[in-house]
Amino acid sequence: MNSMLILFIILSLAAVLSALGLLLSRSAVYAALFLVLNFACVAIFYLLLGAPFIALTQITVYAGAIMVLFLFVIMLLGAEKLPKSQSLPWQRPLAIGLAVVLLFEAGFLLFQRLHLTATLAQPEAQINSVDAIRTLGLTLFNQYLLPFEITSILLLVAMVGAIVLTKQEKGAAG
Amino acid sequence: MTTPAPVETLDLSTLLPGFVTTDTRPGYSGWVVDKNHLVEFASKLRDEFGYDLLTSVTGVDYLPDDKMEVVYHAFKTTGGPVLNYKVQVPRQDPIEVPSLVSVYPGVELQEREIWDLFGIIFTGHPDLRRILMWEGFEGHPLRKDWKEAYFEEESKPFKSRWPDGKIVQAENNNKFSDNIAYPAGFDPEKWIPEGEDALYGSLAKYEYTSQDGIKNDHIVVNLGPQHPSTHGVFRVSAVLDGEIIANLKPVMGYLHRNHEKIGERNTFLQNMPYTDRLDYLSSLSNNFGYALTVEKLMNIEVPERAEYIRVIMAELTRITNHCMALGALFNDLGTFFTPLIYLLEERELILDIFEAVTGSRMMCNYFRFGGVARDFPEGILEKIKGLVFERLPKKIDEIDRFMSDNEIIRSRGIGQGILTAEDAIRFSATGPLLRASGVPYDVRRADPYSIYDRFDFDIVVRQNGDIYDRYMVRLEEMRQSVRIIQQAIKGLPVGEFQTGKPQYQVRVPAGESYGRVESPKGELAFYVISTGKPSPWRYHVRAPSFINLTPYGHMCVGQKIADIVAILGSIDIVLGEVDR
Amino acid sequence: MDFTLILEWIIKGFVLTLILLGGFAYLTLYERRALARIQARIGPNRAGPFGILQPIADAVKLIFKEELTPALADKLLFLLAPVLTVVPAVVITAVVPWGKQSFSLFGRDITPYIADINVGVLYIMSIASIAVYGIVLAGWSSNNKYAMMGGLRSTAQMISYELTLGLSFVGAILLAGSMRMLDIVEAQKTMWFVVLQPIGTGIFLIATLAEVNRAPFDMPEAEQELTAGYHTEYSGMKFALLFMAEYTKMIAISAIGATLFFGGYREFWFLSNTVFSIDHTPWLGPVYIFIKIVILLFGMIWVRATYPRIRYDRLMAFGWKLLLPMSLALVFITAVGIILAEQVNKNLIWGIPVLSILVGLFAVGMIDRVLRRKDNARL
Repeated sequence: MNSMLILFIILSLAAVLSALGLLLSRSAVYAALFLVLNFACVAIFYLLLGAPFIALTQITVYAGAIMVLFLFVIMLLGAEKLPKSQSLPWQRPLAIGLAVVLLFEAGFLLFQRLHLTATLAQPEAQINSVDAIRTLGLTLFNQYLLPFEITSILLLVAMVGAIVLTKQEKGAAG
Repeated sequence: MTTPAPVETLDLSTLLPGFVTTDTRPGYSGWVVDKNHLVEFASKLRDEFGYDLLTSVTGVDYLPDDKMEVVYHAFKTTGGPVLNYKVQVPRQDPIEVPSLVSVYPGVELQEREIWDLFGIIFTGHPDLRRILMWEGFEGHPLRKDWKEAYFEEESKPFKSRWPDGKIVQAENNNKFSDNIAYPAGFDPEKWIPEGEDALYGSLAKYEYTSQDGIKNDHIVVNLGPQHPSTHGVFRVSAVLDGEIIANLKPVMGYLHRNHEKIGERNTFLQNMPYTDRLDYLSSLSNNFGYALTVEKLMNIEVPERAEYIRVIMAELTRITNHCMALGALFNDLGTFFTPLIYLLEERELILDIFEAVTGSRMMCNYFRFGGVARDFPEGILEKIKGLVFERLPKKIDEIDRFMSDNEIIRSRGIGQGILTAEDAIRFSATGPLLRASGVPYDVRRADPYSIYDRFDFDIVVRQNGDIYDRYMVRLEEMRQSVRIIQQAIKGLPVGEFQTGKPQYQVRVPAGESYGRVESPKGELAFYVISTGKPSPWRYHVRAPSFINLTPYGHMCVGQKIADIVAILGSIDIVLGEVDR
Repeated sequence: MDFTLILEWIIKGFVLTLILLGGFAYLTLYERRALARIQARIGPNRAGPFGILQPIADAVKLIFKEELTPALADKLLFLLAPVLTVVPAVVITAVVPWGKQSFSLFGRDITPYIADINVGVLYIMSIASIAVYGIVLAGWSSNNKYAMMGGLRSTAQMISYELTLGLSFVGAILLAGSMRMLDIVEAQKTMWFVVLQPIGTGIFLIATLAEVNRAPFDMPEAEQELTAGYHTEYSGMKFALLFMAEYTKMIAISAIGATLFFGGYREFWFLSNTVFSIDHTPWLGPVYIFIKIVILLFGMIWVRATYPRIRYDRLMAFGWKLLLPMSLALVFITAVGIILAEQVNKNLIWGIPVLSILVGLFAVGMIDRVLRRKDNARL
């Protein structure tokens, strides 16, 4: 357990640092790469929690697909460098206020969870079983069928919408 | 005998009375047109008399007469002899001649070349920039009063190459030294190249914005001069809208050596090996064109046997050239060398024959005025027979079988880089490029030279004018060449291979001559003016590779970036000929 | 988790990496010799007998070459990109089983694979999906238009074909009922999945060509148009790394293909129930998979020697409009076929190959429309 703890500390440091790098980086490409690093850290957290499926999905979907598209767009638009100052006047106070709220919430949850350490082990054991993916699939398609389908329809609508919007622009032009 | 005079029935002087006169200089033919009525004359000639193909435009500097001349050679695509007309202007800068781009867009690159080399300004030309020399070059090299670096004498052989007892480097003892001239106030040490404003400016002229008002960001991509698929040091400057080509300009001249100026220094015969270096993949065709031109001037006959040998060699050259062209085209389409190497195998076998006959594989230097340099060696005929009767037909069919129905070849070739028949004629395209667009124009039939009228062969034509059709035309032409060689071998007579004794110095009467052959790349013509001296006064090469590049931009616009190289491959250029 | 276990992992990983790198070196030789054979040439035969020392000579040359970094390049990413390309190519093979039975060495049972995780196939997917970063960053950091376009092309291409690749995995996963590589191989004990999934295998092989940027899908480095694509500006050892990644990926993807569809380390069908079966002589496992990898690699080389490059927009159209719907249909057919076979009649499993071949024929028939061929109105 000790080695796990060391690993956890290193990883959480890496995660926090990469998140900071993401925020402070002036180059959009570097920011995107920091975000990828952050995703990788999160994926390893999932692994430590005994959820390899979610960990690998995290990498495939976020790092492998979404962030690549982000990079693609950044490179395509040539928006690698952010201009020096572009902040709105009320942006800073608002950000600080929201950060405080977020910290409060996180702290609240953390303190609440401290009492629940006993129950934490249970889901872990369940996920770790051989049939983890099967269980996940069954749950997804039985218990959460409606939300799942609604989500997929929502994505489909978004996709069709994007295509229609771009097509219309071309149609008006031609 | 000079170039055949226009048909007697055609009296052009009535076309624009007072402004068109017959060229009466001895040895000359054609018409002299007043420069203010040139455009009118040219459009009438095109629309009313059917001279729709203006193949060649070039300049001549008559320094002793203190005038400059621009010479046009027009043809009918239905066949027939040349019609040439000239514009004469006094030799005082600025020398201005109206541009014919509006009538024949095919003169665009040629007029740029004349501006570059002669300093004749073509008023109304949309993009008159230097083309072969670099921006910032001072002077116009083909003018008779321009002296090249390390200039020695007006004509060869230079005296310094005949040292009396001691050998001195010719470069070290001439008074002109490296007489490179720069524009006034120009210091090459301090010069910082300010980009290629002229080139990019000319590209920007056609820059297009999408119609919904969104200003699209374009990328200018330079393919070349160092690029694996430009077939040499050639550069393509393309404006891209994403992957789509918005505009494109070919940039050339990296291999320019002023071939024509060298040709004016050389004696007539000394030029023969130089023609090898034009289109170095088909040197025998170049020999053929040059020999034909000078023979016209000298008015000598070629013996039967020599004619047959010439035809056999020229058609073998066509096969080697098409092997190379198709192989390179397949490579440009992205095959990893396999078809190229299959085709090169055949080319090597033909080059073996060249080596046996001429002594050289590439730079053959085989033709002489009035014949060929030497007869076929013993046993070579059997080799040629084995090749053209057995091996080549099979191998051509094999390539056909392997490549013609390939899904990717078809999808990349069909409907891509289309050049319609009208455009092909307007842009002065010749050769396979023109025939793939549906114009059955082949000099071997349209204006037969040598003994081509004796052979039974088909002019290969395809109708769609795309990359795939150009490929098919070349493939089929190889078959037709095999047919011609088969007939020529059967008919090869015994006899002399050269008129008279071989001689180093030929006497060429004064006059002009335009001789053309159907080289594998298109119409290869030489325009030679003799003043009776040992060297030609003017030696112009009408290079098919160069002029076939005129419609290149037109074919590429709207295509994808990958098509740039495919279309270039389908035009089939050789940089030795483009840049001369 | 004791120390020896970690040591075992490290040693096994080290050995695997060495095998892959040696394999890479000799794959280049293999490719050059095979290409030369196809093209009526001889190929490298000077260094050592049969040119066997040629890869070493190449390596020495590349090491001593000058490394250039473009002046306006992003130095850090320019350095990082080759590394980011190589690492996924090597680690992706960690889940490929090279044999079944563990053997004992120094008193330990050592398994002939590095990791046996129950989401092995997903692991492959996720590693394959991050392999694109190296190429994208190489393209971007070079500050060169060719490299940039190569990078952009590879992004679009790899993302597009990843979907197809993933869906072609699904067929094997469904048939085996597991995402564990070992289970998938053992499920092919009686019959290779290529028999049940002929079209799925075909899709996999096509998609892998696109995924590893091999001809005819070598857009990102299309020599004829982009000089060398994303590695235009690379030289010396950095170039060697990018090159190594490409060939290592070829090996890795062949190993994965062999595992998923061609029975992995299992014996060839005509050897089952003989002495040469894996169940009798387990040490033949690595030999079998090696043979399969070599054959699949030859397929890739053969394709490269034969086919021209498909144009970029057609590549995308081919991927999205043809391969993706096809693989979706295959997933559906496979799922239905398995359920019917389980619940109605066992022979109904043969409906899967029959139906999928029908789908494949339909798709081939649709190629003209999908790729918008213009030769309908030709003279």
